[in-house]
Amino acid sequence: MTAVLARPAAPVLRRDRRRWAWGLAALVVVGWSLAAALGGDVLNPAGGAQVGRFAAAALSPDLDGAFLGMLGTAALVTLAYAVLGTALALALGAAGAVAAARTTWGRRGTGWAAARGVLAVPRGLHEAVWGLLLLNVLGLDPWVGVLAIGLPYGAVTATVFAGLLDEVPRGPYEALLAQGSGRVAAALYGLLPLAAGGLLSYAFYRLECAVRSAVVLGLIGAGGLGYQLALSFTSLRWPQVWSAVYALALLCLAADVAGRAVRRRLAAPRRRAGVLARDRVLTAAVLGTGAAVVWAWWFLALSPASLVSARARGQLGHVLGAALPPAGDGALLREVGAQAVVTLQMSVLAVAVAVAGSALLAPGAARPPGAGPGRRLAGAPVRAALLVLRAVPAPVWALVLLFVLLPGVLPGALALGLTTLGVLGRLAAEAVEEADPRPRAALTALGARPVGAWLYGVLPPAAGPVLALALYRWEVAVRDTLLVGLLGAGGLGALLASRLAVFDWPAVTTVLAATVALTLAVDLVSDRARRVLR
Amino acid sequence: MQDRSRRAFLAGTALALATAACGRSSPVGSPPTAAGTLRIGAIPDQDPEVLQRQHGTVADAMAAALDLDVVYSPVTDYAAAVSLFRTGDLDLVWFGGLTGVQARLQAPGAQPIAQRDIDREFHSVFVVDGATGLAPSDDLRPLAGLRFTYGSETSTSGRLMPAWFLQQAGVDPQGFPGGPGFSGSHDATIALVASGSYQAGVLNEQVWRSRLEEGAVDPAAVVEYARTPPYADYHWLLGPGVAERLGADDLAERLTGWFTGLSADDPADAGVLELFGAGSFVPARATDYDRIEEIGRALGLVT
Amino acid sequence: MVGPGERVAVVGASGAGKSTLLAVANGAVPPSSGSVEVLGRDPSALRGRALRRLRARVGTVHQHLELVGPLRVLHNVNAGRLGSWPAARAAWSLLRPQGVPEVVGALERVGLADRVFDRTDTLSGGQRQRVAVARLLVQDPDLVLADEPASALDPVLADAVLGLLAAPASRGGALLVALHDPVLALRHCDRVVGLAAGRVVLDAPAAALTVPDLAAFYGARA
Repeated sequence: MTAVLARPAAPVLRRDRRRWAWGLAALVVVGWSLAAALGGDVLNPAGGAQVGRFAAAALSPDLDGAFLGMLGTAALVTLAYAVLGTALALALGAAGAVAAARTTWGRRGTGWAAARGVLAVPRGLHEAVWGLLLLNVLGLDPWVGVLAIGLPYGAVTATVFAGLLDEVPRGPYEALLAQGSGRVAAALYGLLPLAAGGLLSYAFYRLECAVRSAVVLGLIGAGGLGYQLALSFTSLRWPQVWSAVYALALLCLAADVAGRAVRRRLAAPRRRAGVLARDRVLTAAVLGTGAAVVWAWWFLALSPASLVSARARGQLGHVLGAALPPAGDGALLREVGAQAVVTLQMSVLAVAVAVAGSALLAPGAARPPGAGPGRRLAGAPVRAALLVLRAVPAPVWALVLLFVLLPGVLPGALALGLTTLGVLGRLAAEAVEEADPRPRAALTALGARPVGAWLYGVLPPAAGPVLALALYRWEVAVRDTLLVGLLGAGGLGALLASRLAVFDWPAVTTVLAATVALTLAVDLVSDRARRVLR
Repeated sequence: MQDRSRRAFLAGTALALATAACGRSSPVGSPPTAAGTLRIGAIPDQDPEVLQRQHGTVADAMAAALDLDVVYSPVTDYAAAVSLFRTGDLDLVWFGGLTGVQARLQAPGAQPIAQRDIDREFHSVFVVDGATGLAPSDDLRPLAGLRFTYGSETSTSGRLMPAWFLQQAGVDPQGFPGGPGFSGSHDATIALVASGSYQAGVLNEQVWRSRLEEGAVDPAAVVEYARTPPYADYHWLLGPGVAERLGADDLAERLTGWFTGLSADDPADAGVLELFGAGSFVPARATDYDRIEEIGRALGLVT
Repeated sequence: MVGPGERVAVVGASGAGKSTLLAVANGAVPPSSGSVEVLGRDPSALRGRALRRLRARVGTVHQHLELVGPLRVLHNVNAGRLGSWPAARAAWSLLRPQGVPEVVGALERVGLADRVFDRTDTLSGGQRQRVAVARLLVQDPDLVLADEPASALDPVLADAVLGLLAAPASRGGALLVALHDPVLALRHCDRVVGLAAGRVVLDAPAAALTVPDLAAFYGARA
């Protein structure tokens, strides 16, 4: 007689199917982009000497007094643009966030979708494109630089703020509504304080981005550090280029340090019992920001009148008249389609490079709370390297890489990858710092090696946020392909530049529409992917 | 009480801000309301960092000689220079042949003022990477199979005329392997060809000669392959309505007179001439650039 | 039916429907069947300003308190007045706190006056529960709905807090409180309503019940 033993079914390890599908799809897309970039020869070792010249100049920047004086003034212009652009972006973002938040629309999905659609247009265009378009309407007016940063950043900020508002726990807000307070007051007491930390630290992050964008605008003639950098770059005066890069890095560092101080204070407030004492650091940050806006307004001599002048209206009419209707001939549309694919490949590779680099560098760059001075010191070179990676504008990286790589998608994608790594590596280091230190400490306490403690205690909680940030940067990378396309890399940006150069406005409109559509598509895909990560 | 003083402070700040902004000229760009000022600029073509940073030389010399307020506005982008000429933000601009044609088409009535002695018969040079082993020749056809880069997209000497001469020689100017690159500047073209990433390129002859003289070119790495036939290039272009705005009907004549009167023997003049790499300036006529316009249309660079 | 001045304890096992009953009572959730009337009005039939006016008269202590961590205690207590303050005053109060004496008074009654300027997320669970009660005191409602207001408090404080919640009843207000503790229910309430699976299974005057009765009621769920 055989007894059939009823064994309980052994538990089976089930993988999250959606995550696996997304992961697999990501691998396929990266592989496809890589195949496109690596087709044929890619290396040109003979150009090593040229890269060497660029690299050597990093150690001997131009320190001529007159030149440094000029850089100082230029840095002030860049700072003023960045401050006013950020202020405008925050104002627009705050207003737009209300329109773009699911909280506002509740179950009325169409209103929400319409608001998101409206925001996609300013967001889909690169700051440099905004700059060129505004230049055609406003001429040589400082508003060009302010608006070129403020409008696209405002749209991005609105989306991010809306996300922050939507993610805040809703209990307190609804509790206030339940006791009869109005929506505005309930949001002021129940939503805003909870989101304030995120909003404020994002504002400082935007300021740092705005400094870099102001430099890009200088490349198209809006003045400032970027202008000086562009002049020296055009003649390949590497020592001068490095001086400008270091000046820019200092500005970025200042914004970064200020943002970090504010974030620390918000996370761990000083307690002083019994008095209504405002935090000095936070008060100084707010007052300092206000003073900076006033100074920047004065320094750039902004005049609101020039925005609505008859001349501006006339030029707007001229540009719109020339740009509409968009060109729709088959040859152009085919070209647009082909270049959109190139843009996509370039952006995917850039983000892949940045993610891989961040995984390697973030552990070194992070300053976990309570780390000793030795650990902090060891991280300094990594952080400085990340700072330089993002301070050198993408067009400069593109040219330098082209000395040792043959023309094609690869040098462009790598150039974007390096700047993206500079940004993402820093964000990843912050995510590591903000992760709860206790799980890792517990693992160390039970005798785990540092690598093991890192893999089990830090990586799992940090990986999700870092990948989500990478997906955000993907959209930025799509727009930034504009900066690296001309040197044989191609993409929609190169096509746009060639149409702009010959003032073929109808074709410009078509390419811009395609760019916005591509950015929107990338945003939708990355939004889906982020939801799976959550 | 405290509230009132706060409000007064805010109002005062706003007022101070508004008035301060009015009394100050911006460090970037000039206000279009400065009616009595001649605003000059230049495309960023050769040695832009020298030209744009020492613009004071030109503006001051011109202001002193013509008894005008002259401000120099920096521009780093070819298309931006043309657009600013159209919007009236720049009155007098140092354009290349092609950008000058684009500017005249967008601002009808604009008037060429002067060109350099060398601009009547300007040349470009095709350069090749030493590793290609190509010997100098007048035959452009061997270039067709090489990785090739132009300079800026609307540069006359770095793009338009070389493309034209390539086409005349039977080489498709857009048909290089992987498509042609656009290095962005004459110096970048030299560096890229020297590295071998691009095997051939083309640039402004004046820049090429001066880099050779400076010893900035490794003669083994970059070799001059061919020199183009002559064509007309750079010139000063005066915007329509500027003379009327400044209340000087003879402005064009006075400007032409000043430019053509610059003499290398006068130390002050020599500074200006040297900045532009010119021996002297000569009068320029719109008809000098008719051929550029035709070629621009033929190559789709003028629409 | 809860009459003026009446103090009613709602008891029942987890998931029996206590929180839902309270949510229906302030109009956050429409009743799935039947009708509801609060202070003479049906909250599910009201919208906008009218609903807000009604809600301003109903004070609620939520099970999860729903306090805002990054705000100071002061503002969290003042939030009880948002139903009567215009939005501009609410905004101004964040910069220049309004009505501080009342706030301190309310906090004194719950024994927290020394923490008025602290950030709320620096407080312990029991202290937060008392902040929520102080908010309710500042709101001064006609009907108090409280969901487990004493769960994180020691017995002495729990007693004191329930005494405060019951205070409006002495001037004609009403109290509807969900409780786990039979002793507190019998000591502070006039009537006890027992729920199971969303239905009323017990409704009796407190005087007619004993602690073992209620303990048995909680035990009956198993």
